[in-house]
Amino acid sequence: MFDLSATLQLIVSGLAMGAIYALVALGFILIYNAVGVVNFAQGDFVMFPSFIAVSFILPSVIVFGSVMHWQLPIIAVYLLVLILMAGFGLLFNRIAYYPLRDRGWLPVVISTIGVSIFLRNLAQIVWGSQPIVFPSPFALQTLSAGGLHLRTQDLLILGVSALLIAFQFVLFERTTLGKQMRATAQDRATAQLLGIRVDRIVAITFIYSVLLGAIAGLLVSPIFTVTKEMGGLISLKAFAASIVGGFGSIPGAIIGGLLIGVVENLGGYYISSDYKDAIAFVILIGVLLLRPSGLFGERVSEKA
Amino acid sequence: MSETRKRFLVQSAVAGAASTFAFPNIALGKGEPIRIGTIPPITGSNALNGQEELEGAHYAVEEINSRPGKCFDDRPVELVVEDATNDNQAAVGALNKLLGENVVAVVQPVLSTQIQAMAPVMKGAALPWMTGGTAVKNTQLGLTNLFRCRASDGITAHGLVDFAVKDKKLKKIGILHSTEAFGSGGADQVEASLKNYNMKAIGREGFPKDTKDFTPELLRLKTAGADGIVAYVQNPSDTAVILDQFKSLGMNANIALLGSPAVGNTTALATAGAAAEGIFVAQDFIIGFNSNIATKFITTFYREYHRQPDVGTGQGWTRDAFLLLADTYRKIGTADPAKAVEALHKTKHWEGVLGDFTCDAEGNLVHNMSVGVVKNGKVVLVKTVTVSV
Repeated sequence: MFDLSATLQLIVSGLAMGAIYALVALGFILIYNAVGVVNFAQGDFVMFPSFIAVSFILPSVIVFGSVMHWQLPIIAVYLLVLILMAGFGLLFNRIAYYPLRDRGWLPVVISTIGVSIFLRNLAQIVWGSQPIVFPSPFALQTLSAGGLHLRTQDLLILGVSALLIAFQFVLFERTTLGKQMRATAQDRATAQLLGIRVDRIVAITFIYSVLLGAIAGLLVSPIFTVTKEMGGLISLKAFAASIVGGFGSIPGAIIGGLLIGVVENLGGYYISSDYKDAIAFVILIGVLLLRPSGLFGERVSEKA
Repeated sequence: MSETRKRFLVQSAVAGAASTFAFPNIALGKGEPIRIGTIPPITGSNALNGQEELEGAHYAVEEINSRPGKCFDDRPVELVVEDATNDNQAAVGALNKLLGENVVAVVQPVLSTQIQAMAPVMKGAALPWMTGGTAVKNTQLGLTNLFRCRASDGITAHGLVDFAVKDKKLKKIGILHSTEAFGSGGADQVEASLKNYNMKAIGREGFPKDTKDFTPELLRLKTAGADGIVAYVQNPSDTAVILDQFKSLGMNANIALLGSPAVGNTTALATAGAAAEGIFVAQDFIIGFNSNIATKFITTFYREYHRQPDVGTGQGWTRDAFLLLADTYRKIGTADPAKAVEALHKTKHWEGVLGDFTCDAEGNLVHNMSVGVVKNGKVVLVKTVTVSV
């Protein structure tokens, strides 16, 4: 039976979760558009910066089995994490992609899987396996009105995601750098002939993609706690979202993320919670059957 | 070197090696280490369990080896570790490797799914097998060498339901559980216990590990009219998210939440923080059982690791498993596996961190559980349940 109050609640929490899927899906899409491979370490770019951040936010944290006291002001921590992850994005590009760029897509995909395994195990060695509580910069409160309950962190997730999506629109549509990134994604050879330094643009895309994952991690950590597995299911759903939206389509990744977040919640409530996770993949299969290029993907015709 | 001499040396070497494998270090002399194998999931998604259990094992070995006379004949315990990972097939492979390393007993795993996967191998090995998995089925697999060092889900579910129905007077109980062997097995036991009161769960919601949004599951139970939810959840970070959403959805105002031992363990409560306040939790030991053994364990562990141990689900039961083995070897004066299995079956009122250990016909050693309420981050005793052996 239809329940308006429950439905609204499910939509709100689904949108918050969907916004995170969208940010991670954007990371997938940007790297895919730039170099034509799926980065299977994208979920770990949500996890790893969260561990770094929490090491500097908490008064004490256990690192390599020893108690460390590295507490810094929260704004400084966020800036530090973004700077470190930008450096990591460049390193990721230089180590996992650049040496393999001329060997086809498969070695690069395997390389990203290797980075994923490396980051998870590194996190376990450095911080151990205990989940770590990530204090929110804002007090974790719930706003209630008309039977609807909204966590302030969910509002923050929605707000920051909307800002990032707007920023991305401006970046790609209004700036030279964005246009160079789009040109490189569309046709690397032609972009190079036009004088665009393609390798540099690809490196910037990797950095931006890692930063999107890092921001998603900083947003969800206060409600999920920080564990080495925290990016796993998120990246799987984000991957489904990017295919539903149309792999390669930026608006598609955003809509796909939000759609999966909301529909899996509604399906989990009205059909069965046992199948909640399966619902994302049922949507995926349905979209692939009815519209193989995804909701916003370009139709591809094959010549006979 | 002549052919005869060469053959003699080869045969001697083979005979020596064979005798070592045929008679694992039980026959070794005074001061020789007794090799006990342990197989926690050190890597993979269950590494938290593995880390806690490895800490418990190291703690126990240190405690045993600091005793005068050690196990017996001045023989210390030597720990042999293999990684069970989070994959059953890999766990069985690691177990086979462990059994080839001249061990006289195996401690672990805590995951029931891995215990059930390893059972055929351990049936043939006939070494004492000290396990921590709480699924009822584990001790009904026909292994006489399997011992369970924690209270089974049958005991904790019975205690929780008994408390919910008799003490809290709850009429509409729903179940929320993780979908691996522990969570599903626990949910089955809750349903079975409800039948004893002619009741049926008003809803049963399962979820996979690392779920990030529990709104549908919680709202389904709320809409069904639940006045109580029994939660069997394995993963501390899942517990933290559930409790946070339970509170933020305003459900804590009129629905009682009763959690399994894993919901009330130290890590889960520390992770959940203020969101855990007021919930009821089952513990597979007696809350506040301040024996000298438990107090010494908790304080020494804290000094070494800078955090509280998990008495029931993590380091505590592992410590007890090793100490019980060591005390059994001391009692019988040998580390012979067959004699140790026989002696372990005769265990009566051995005192560990978890309380009294007495072996029943199925190899269950712990028969106590208690229900507590979370107040100021601590579990305060509400009720104790003991099942007679």
